[in-house]
Amino acid sequence: MDYDLDADQEALRGAVATVLARHAGPARAKALSSSEAIDDDLAGALADAGYLDLLGDPDAGPLAAELVVEWVAAAAGIVPVAARALVGPAVLDGQLPPTMTVMVEGDRGPVRFAQAEAVLVVGENDARLMRLAPGALEPVATMYGYPMARVSLAGAEVLDSGPAEQARRWWRVGLAAEIAGTMRAAFDLTLAYHKQREQFGRPIGSFQALQHRMSQVYVRCEGAAWLAREAAFHRAGGERAAAAAAYAAAAAGTVCAELHQMTGAIGFTREYDLHVWTLRLQTLRLELSGAGGHARALATARWVTPRPSSSGAGAAR
Amino acid sequence: MDFAWSPEEETYRKEIRAFLDAELPPDWTTRRRRPDSDEQVARSKDFCGRLAERGWLTPHWPKEHGGRDAPAWQHMILGEELWSIGEPRGPQYMNVNWIGPSIMAAGTDDQKRYHLGRISRGDVIWCQGFSEPDAGSDLASLKTRAQRDGDEYLINGQKIWTSYANAAEFCYLLARTDPDAPKHKGISIFLVPMTTPGLEVRDVHAVVGEHAFHELFFTDMRVPASTRLGPENEGWGIIRSVLSHERVGVPRYGRAMFQLGLIASWASERGLLADPGVAERLGQAQAACEAARALVYKVVDERAKDVPPSPNAYVARAAMVQAEWAVGEAGMVVMGPDGLELDTVADDQFRFGMTAGVAAGTYEVQLNLIAGLALDLPRS
Repeated sequence: MDYDLDADQEALRGAVATVLARHAGPARAKALSSSEAIDDDLAGALADAGYLDLLGDPDAGPLAAELVVEWVAAAAGIVPVAARALVGPAVLDGQLPPTMTVMVEGDRGPVRFAQAEAVLVVGENDARLMRLAPGALEPVATMYGYPMARVSLAGAEVLDSGPAEQARRWWRVGLAAEIAGTMRAAFDLTLAYHKQREQFGRPIGSFQALQHRMSQVYVRCEGAAWLAREAAFHRAGGERAAAAAAYAAAAAGTVCAELHQMTGAIGFTREYDLHVWTLRLQTLRLELSGAGGHARALATARWVTPRPSSSGAGAAR
Repeated sequence: MDFAWSPEEETYRKEIRAFLDAELPPDWTTRRRRPDSDEQVARSKDFCGRLAERGWLTPHWPKEHGGRDAPAWQHMILGEELWSIGEPRGPQYMNVNWIGPSIMAAGTDDQKRYHLGRISRGDVIWCQGFSEPDAGSDLASLKTRAQRDGDEYLINGQKIWTSYANAAEFCYLLARTDPDAPKHKGISIFLVPMTTPGLEVRDVHAVVGEHAFHELFFTDMRVPASTRLGPENEGWGIIRSVLSHERVGVPRYGRAMFQLGLIASWASERGLLADPGVAERLGQAQAACEAARALVYKVVDERAKDVPPSPNAYVARAAMVQAEWAVGEAGMVVMGPDGLELDTVADDQFRFGMTAGVAAGTYEVQLNLIAGLALDLPRS
C-alpha cells in the first residue's frame, strides 16, 4: 500500500502536464466551447505521446491510465479521454480508433463526445464498438462543457465487441476519475478565491460559515479521487467501480452547487473560469444513470448473490 | 502509488478471520453488539485475554512492553477486522490504541510496570475523564482542580460523558494543576483507580445506549503524586498526541459497513433489494463507508512512513462521521417503522451513529482543523 506517486508516476505527471499546458486549460476550453467538436490537437498530442494507451502497458497499467484521465479533466481538456484510455482498452482486444466515446444502447438522450470516430454501444450483454453512418448525429446545443449529440445507430458498422459488464465497470471508473479531476480543479480555484477575495474588511475564507463548507467539499474531493484510483488499480472490480462512481457522482452535485454559492456572482460570468469545471460536473454526474444508478449497481454487486446461470465474464454481477 | 496488500498482510488478515470464526459464538453477528453494553464490556475481558495469548491485543507495541513492533498496516488490519464484526474488544480498544502508548511515552518505570502488563493481558477496563459540563469541544478550558498537598494531590471537580465508567477500574483523568497559567499550560494527567474514596460515578440516562455515559464527581479525592503521568502542567502536550491516535485509531467505518450489511440482509430477506429506492440508499451508504476507508488508509500510509501527523487525519475523521450518519439514515429509511423497535439494527446504528459527530472531537472541530491546517484558510 502506498499513497504517494512512485518515480514513474511522478515523471508521467510532469510529462502530461507539459502537454496539457500547451493544449488544454480553461482558456482553451472556453475558446473551443462554441465549436461543438472534440479538441483534435489535444487528442493527437496525448495519443502521439502514448498517454491514451497506458492501461495495457506493463510499465504503466490501469492506475497510470486513471491518473491521466484525472489530469486531463482537471485541465478541462475537450477529449473523450476516459472512454479511450480506460474503457476501450479494457473491453476491446482490437485496434482502437484515435477517439471514441461510450453510450448506453437505446439511449435517446444527448451523448457526450458523440462526434468521436467510434461509439462503444453498451447493451445488456455486449458492448459493440460502432462507426456511425453519415447523418447519424443530431447536435445538441448545450452550455455544459462538452460537445454532445443525439445518436442514431441506423446503418452503423460494428467494428469490435466485448463484454458489456466490463464496459460499465470501466465507464464508472472513468467517470469517477473525470469527476475527481474536475472537482479538484474547481475546488482549487475557489480556495484561492477564498484567500484573496475580501468583504467586510477580511478574506471571505476567514468566515467559519464558509470554512466548514470548504472543508466538506475538500473531503468529498479527496474521497472521490482515492476511490477512483483504487478502483482503477484493482481493475474495476464491480463493487469498487460502482462505489467510486456513486460517491463521485453524488459529490459532484453537491460540490457544483456549493462552489458556485461560495463564489458569488463572479462565478456566473463566462469570463471567470469556475463554470468550465462546475457545469461539466452536471454532465458527468448524470451519465450512466447517475449517482442513483451507480449506487444500485453497488448494492447489487455487494448484496445480491449472483445466479449460477449468469456467471461468466460478461455477466458477472 | 499502489493499493495492493502484501502477502504478509493478506496472511495476517486471514489468520485474524480464522481466529474470530473460531473464538466468537455462532450467534455473534445477530446479537446486540454495542461496545458500551453490559454484555459486551463483560465479554471483552475474556475475549481480549484470548487475543493477548495470540499476541494480537498489542501487536503494534514495542517488544519491551510485550508487543511485537508490528507495522502500522498490521495494526490497521487488526482494528478493521475487529470493528468489522462489531468490536469484540469492547472498551479495551482505547487501552491499546492510546492509553498504553501514552504511558509508554510519559510514564515512570513503576507506572509502566504496573499498567502496561495489565493492559497487554487484556483484563483491565479504563475510562477517559476528559469532558466536563463546561469543557466539551473547548477541552482545554477544563476546571477540575488538582492541588498538590505533600505527596498527594487533592482533586475536586466533575467530569461528564464518560463512557464505560460503570465497568472501569482506572480513569485517565485530566485536571488543572495551575489555574493561573494559560489554559493549555496548567493541565496534568492522573491515572486514578476508580475505587479511590471521594470518586462517585453516576449514570447519565441517555437515549444513545445503556451505560453510554456517566458523570464522575470528585470530592476531596486524594491520590498519591505517583499517579501523575508525565511532568506537572504538561499534560496537554501528551494529550494532543494521544488524540491524534484517537481520531483515526478507531476504524468506525468497519462497524458501519457491518451494520449496513445487516440492514441489507434484512432487506434481502424481504425481497426489498429489488426495490431501486432501497438499493440506492444502501449503495450510497456503502460508498460513504468506502470513501472513509480509503481516507483512513491514507493516514495509515503516512504513519507507516513515519511522516509527522498531518491534517489528513481530520479529513478521515470527517469522512467517517459522514459514513456513520449515512448508514444510520439508510437503516431508518430502508427498515421504515420496523427500525424503531428497540435493538433492531436500524435503531442500534441510528442511536449509536448520533454520537459519531460528537465523541472524540466534534465534526465541526474537524472541519475547523481541515480549514486551518489542510486548506490554510485565514483564521476566523
